[in-house]
Amino acid sequence: MIPLHLYLLVSAGLFCMGIYGVLARRNAVAILMGIELMLNAVNINLVAFWRYISPESLNGQVFAIFVFAVAAAEAAVGLALIISIYRNRETVIAEDVNILKW
Amino acid sequence: MTLETLVWLIPLPPLLAFFVILLFTRGNKRISDLVSVASILLTWVISIIVLIGALGTFHLGENPIITQIVWLPLGESVETSLTMGALVDPLGAVMLFFVPLTATMIFIYSTGYMASGHYWTEVKGEAHGEDHESDEHHEVVVDDAGRTLTQFDATKWKARFMAFISLFAGAMLILSIADSLLLLFVGWEIMGLCSYLLIGFWHNRVYPNQPNRTTPLKAGIKAFMTTRVGDVFMLLGIAWLYSVTGTLNFRETLYSGEMLLALEAPAFPTLGQSVPLLAGLSIAGSISILLFIGTVGKSAQFPLHTWLPDAMEGPTPVSAMIHAATMVSAGVYLLIRMFPLITVGWHGHGYPPAMKVIAGVGAFTALFAATISIAQRDVKKVLAYSTISQLGYMVAAVGIGAYIAAAFHLMTHAIFKALLFMGSGSVIHAVEHGEQHAHHEGHHFPIDFDAQDMFNMGGLWSRIPVTAWTFLVGGMALSGFPLITAGFWSKDEILADAWLHAPVVFFVLAAAAFLTGFYTMRQIGLTFAGKPRTHAAEEATQRDWRMNLPLIVLAVFGVVAGYVGVHEDFPLLGRLFGGNPFHHFVSQTLLESPEVALFNWTPVLLSVVVAVGGLLVGWLVYVRRPLEVGEADPLKKVLGPLYTLFENKYYFDELYEVAFIRPSQWLARQIYEVIDRGMIDGLLHFIARSTEWWAFRNKDFDTGVVNRGVDSMAEGIGEASDSFKYVQSGRIQQYLAVVAAGVLMLAAVFIWALFLH
Amino acid sequence: MDFIHQNLLTLITFIPLAGGVLLLLFPGERKNAARWFALVVSLIPLALALLGWMWFNAAPCNDLVQQACFEQQTLWFPILNSYYHLGVDGISMTMVLLTTLLTPLAILISWSIEDRVNLYMALFLTLEMGMLGVFVSLDLLLFFVFWEFGLVPMYFLINMWGSANRQYASFKFIIYTMAGSLGLLLSIQLIGLTMGTFDLTEIMVRWPALAPESRLVGVAVGVVKNVAFWLFVLAFAIKVPVWPFHTWLPDAHTEAPTAGSMILAGVLLKLGAYGFLRLVLPLFPVQAHNFAPVLAVLAMLAIVLGAFSSFAQTDFKRLVAYSSVNHMGWVVLAIAVAGWVGVGGQHDPEGINQLNAIIATNGAVLQMFNHGISAAAMFALVGMMYDRLHTRDLTQMGGLWLVAPVYGGIMIFTSMASLGLPGLNGFVSEFMVVRGVWPVSPVFELMVFISLLGLLFTGAYILKAIAHVLHGPLNRDAVALAHGRSLEINLREVVALAPLLVLMLLIGVFPAWLVGVINQTVTLLLT
Repeated sequence: MIPLHLYLLVSAGLFCMGIYGVLARRNAVAILMGIELMLNAVNINLVAFWRYISPESLNGQVFAIFVFAVAAAEAAVGLALIISIYRNRETVIAEDVNILKW
Repeated sequence: MTLETLVWLIPLPPLLAFFVILLFTRGNKRISDLVSVASILLTWVISIIVLIGALGTFHLGENPIITQIVWLPLGESVETSLTMGALVDPLGAVMLFFVPLTATMIFIYSTGYMASGHYWTEVKGEAHGEDHESDEHHEVVVDDAGRTLTQFDATKWKARFMAFISLFAGAMLILSIADSLLLLFVGWEIMGLCSYLLIGFWHNRVYPNQPNRTTPLKAGIKAFMTTRVGDVFMLLGIAWLYSVTGTLNFRETLYSGEMLLALEAPAFPTLGQSVPLLAGLSIAGSISILLFIGTVGKSAQFPLHTWLPDAMEGPTPVSAMIHAATMVSAGVYLLIRMFPLITVGWHGHGYPPAMKVIAGVGAFTALFAATISIAQRDVKKVLAYSTISQLGYMVAAVGIGAYIAAAFHLMTHAIFKALLFMGSGSVIHAVEHGEQHAHHEGHHFPIDFDAQDMFNMGGLWSRIPVTAWTFLVGGMALSGFPLITAGFWSKDEILADAWLHAPVVFFVLAAAAFLTGFYTMRQIGLTFAGKPRTHAAEEATQRDWRMNLPLIVLAVFGVVAGYVGVHEDFPLLGRLFGGNPFHHFVSQTLLESPEVALFNWTPVLLSVVVAVGGLLVGWLVYVRRPLEVGEADPLKKVLGPLYTLFENKYYFDELYEVAFIRPSQWLARQIYEVIDRGMIDGLLHFIARSTEWWAFRNKDFDTGVVNRGVDSMAEGIGEASDSFKYVQSGRIQQYLAVVAAGVLMLAAVFIWALFLH
Repeated sequence: MDFIHQNLLTLITFIPLAGGVLLLLFPGERKNAARWFALVVSLIPLALALLGWMWFNAAPCNDLVQQACFEQQTLWFPILNSYYHLGVDGISMTMVLLTTLLTPLAILISWSIEDRVNLYMALFLTLEMGMLGVFVSLDLLLFFVFWEFGLVPMYFLINMWGSANRQYASFKFIIYTMAGSLGLLLSIQLIGLTMGTFDLTEIMVRWPALAPESRLVGVAVGVVKNVAFWLFVLAFAIKVPVWPFHTWLPDAHTEAPTAGSMILAGVLLKLGAYGFLRLVLPLFPVQAHNFAPVLAVLAMLAIVLGAFSSFAQTDFKRLVAYSSVNHMGWVVLAIAVAGWVGVGGQHDPEGINQLNAIIATNGAVLQMFNHGISAAAMFALVGMMYDRLHTRDLTQMGGLWLVAPVYGGIMIFTSMASLGLPGLNGFVSEFMVVRGVWPVSPVFELMVFISLLGLLFTGAYILKAIAHVLHGPLNRDAVALAHGRSLEINLREVVALAPLLVLMLLIGVFPAWLVGVINQTVTLLLT
């Protein structure tokens, strides 16, 4: 059986990729994708912990399913917002969308 | 209906007429005339019925006609309350004889007198435009004083005039039937009001070229204010009497021996010790003097006499009724009424101070006014001063204790003075009429032509014979022409009493009687004798029966009214006329009827001599050789500067103007400006300003220190936060980076705290 | 009927307030509706007051302590032990009648107001409620509440509808009166604290009986009483006004709208005199006795100086305003005598001056009523001329009797009532005061004597007004000021004045119907 820490390492790597994507990419779609990666990293953690620590209860799986749902909703709303911004400002670069400053 | 009820009804018709005319019929002169004359006739009839009833009452003095109601409930019982009612005793009956008689005559006369005439009024103000009823398209002239004048219809307010004299007559009748001083005062004051309204009746009248001449308006105010000086003191006297006796009823005070005895106590027991003048004054004496000041005002005695001559600015019926026959006699009536009070402390010898004062003032006024009278040009002013003088006679008579003589002269004087005034009114009317007539014929008159100036008359005997004859009768009665005039008998009685009790008073009054004869003849001479001195006099006519009838009626009474008071011992006539019924009737009014003074030839002959002497001198100067046109008064040469002094009335008007009127106006202004505006308001404003100053300093502290501090704190915070705002870059990735850094830091803290610590 | 009888005073007092509140709901442009509504509402208390007058006459109840008329009592403010306690005796009944009579007439005179009519009328009715409340309350706190309540509408009436100098006048009025009220509140609280209740009937019995040596919250009762007395006197003296606290009055009267002046002179001034009679005399008999000569001197000064000041005016309204100082002086003079003799005659054990004091006090109350009606009528007349000419300057008028004969007649009639002509109302009360005050003591004798000089000048200023307004040659410039409007009085104004004129004559000719009611209470008070 593959030990738990390997899963966690995979998940941490995935999370770091996601963070990097969110913080470093300029394209808003890419940022959204980074977020998806981070969410999935969390999912892996949840499922792994469930399997290795308390397989008798369903908490981890249920949590993961919630995260899926939230991720799907977020992607839908996020993409819709990006499209809306694009239509108004003809850009999807996050730095250019800064009208909420001081 | 009982006599008691009828007494109540006597003053009622004229009072009702007053309201009826003013409220309903003022638009119609004819109906208003009818209402007022009907009302006074009705009153006359009622008075006669009451009078007959009173004459038929056995011992009217002890059983007078009395009726009263509780007028002011005060305190706990009826005894402490104030009652009011009507009283007819012998003295009241005398009033009820001559007041309605003269009033009725004057009412009838007024309807004629007020039916024509014009006077000058000023056109004031620049504004024109749609004009008012006042302007009746008369010619407009400019006088020497630069005023624009126009003629005004003197008959315009005739209905109002009739209403006012009705009110006046009502008030006089209230006074005549009053059973208490308070009700008497009510009538007294209402008459004062009427006098004011009627003197100033032609209130918009001005005299061309004489901007400083007293106008009716000013004369009215003067009359009201001058008499009010007296009234104020009289009110005090009434209040004092009321507080001492607890009642104002005549029967309960004046005709109660105990009450009068109680009033003999000194008025100023403590003050009198240090002020000798007050030492001899009893309560009754003090009250008498206060009441007498009221009389001085009302009956125009010295020194409050100045209003009466000016009161002649009123229409002549007013002068006749108010300022000769009734109102001014009210003052004397008050004295006669209060006789028992005045004579408290007089036991037949040694007059108490109050009587001395009264006799002195009366006698002095009688002579003083007579001297002024001889130098007057105005036909009515002569009579005005004559009235003052005659009232002085009566006052002096009361002062020397000649109660009945005063009452007698009051009655006869009312009749013949009303007659004289109406006669003079008739003369004025005739001259005014003549002026108009002559004007139409092309004669020119200056705008200040004075129809009352006797020097503009002359030769009127043939023009207005009825007036002339009746005037002659009145004049003879006034000067006391022996045997055939009423004035002789009444004046003679006063002089006889004076001879007996107070010779000084007798000589003063006799001197006045001489002057009376003189100025009467002067007046008759200037007015009627000789040839007309102006075209107005030449054309003068007066044929109105409404004016002539009263003259004739009063002329008859002017002769016969004297015969009720002929001394019993007067040879022949005394017996013939029933032995002085007047004396016997009126004397019952008092508790102890005064004794009839023994008949004495000396004063009678002396008074005949002075009266006839005066008349004779007057006749020699003014009738035997009548004045020519433009000729000065011959008296001027004889008297020199004295004439000027008399003509200017001893300069009393000027003196009062300087001594009282100006100072009080000045004082009023000072009190308002200095005390109210300056001191009290000044203090208030000072307090307000100080408070305000303090408030502003508070405000300065608030804005300068407190607000400034708080504000700068807020500003500092604002500025500081301003520099922080750039954190808000709007770049989500920056935010996220910060979040990430924060999370890392938190993680580090946790790790440090959980594992490394 | 039973309901009305039991709640008479509440109804009289609060119906105007209810009407006032309703008036605020009226749309601003329905001016006539507001006027008529206000008039009708103000007639209801009058009708009730007349009904009350009849009941009062049928069963007089003059002793407030034993049984006041139309008494009502409910605990109102439990913590302070203050009651909603209403009741009247002969004095307050007279004042209630005066107030309810003058208000509808003042409203009728206010017909010419065009600006914010509904608010104006609402304020007026509220004012009426405040004044009535003072007269009917038998609880000190309630008394004070009503007392203050009346000031506010009056302030706004002067401030919003007054003439040129209204800011100054309204400010002076309210500040001055407030200054007095402040002390009043303080001393009412002192009494309330001491007695543990604000109920007047109870205080009347217990407060004067407190021994001056006993101590109260660490202070001697005598001191407390003195302080309270002076504060009371100050408050009421300002309101009357007693000389020298009178200078707010000419300003306020002159600047107020006509109806405001009518009520101000007619009723508001009476509150002060009423305060003296109702509170100062029964609560502070000792102090009132000591203070009486001073009060008499002040009254004399008010009479004489008021008359002089009035005579010095060239402003018609200010002249009439000063006449109020002059006339109210007589009221104060009589009150001084009542204080001198003391409630129940306690300073006059032999009863020498008892009757004098009764007569004087009767005169004072009657003079309050008389001045109420004649001053109100005078102000109404002044207002009518001001409405037409837009000036009050006497020198700009003259000869107006020629164009306004009815107005002239009414003005002379009213002036004569004000002057104290016998046969009209003013004389009766002035005579009673003179008669009652004169024999009491040499000081009072002197005061009356000097005051009579004032009476002389009363004549002078009245004649001055008549001469300048009505008499003399017609001044066409004055007529032109009216811009074609007739100077003659109109029917509405005659209707508004007629009741007052009738009363002047009625009281002057036969005062017994009114004095009878007053006398019972006054006699009871002073014996």
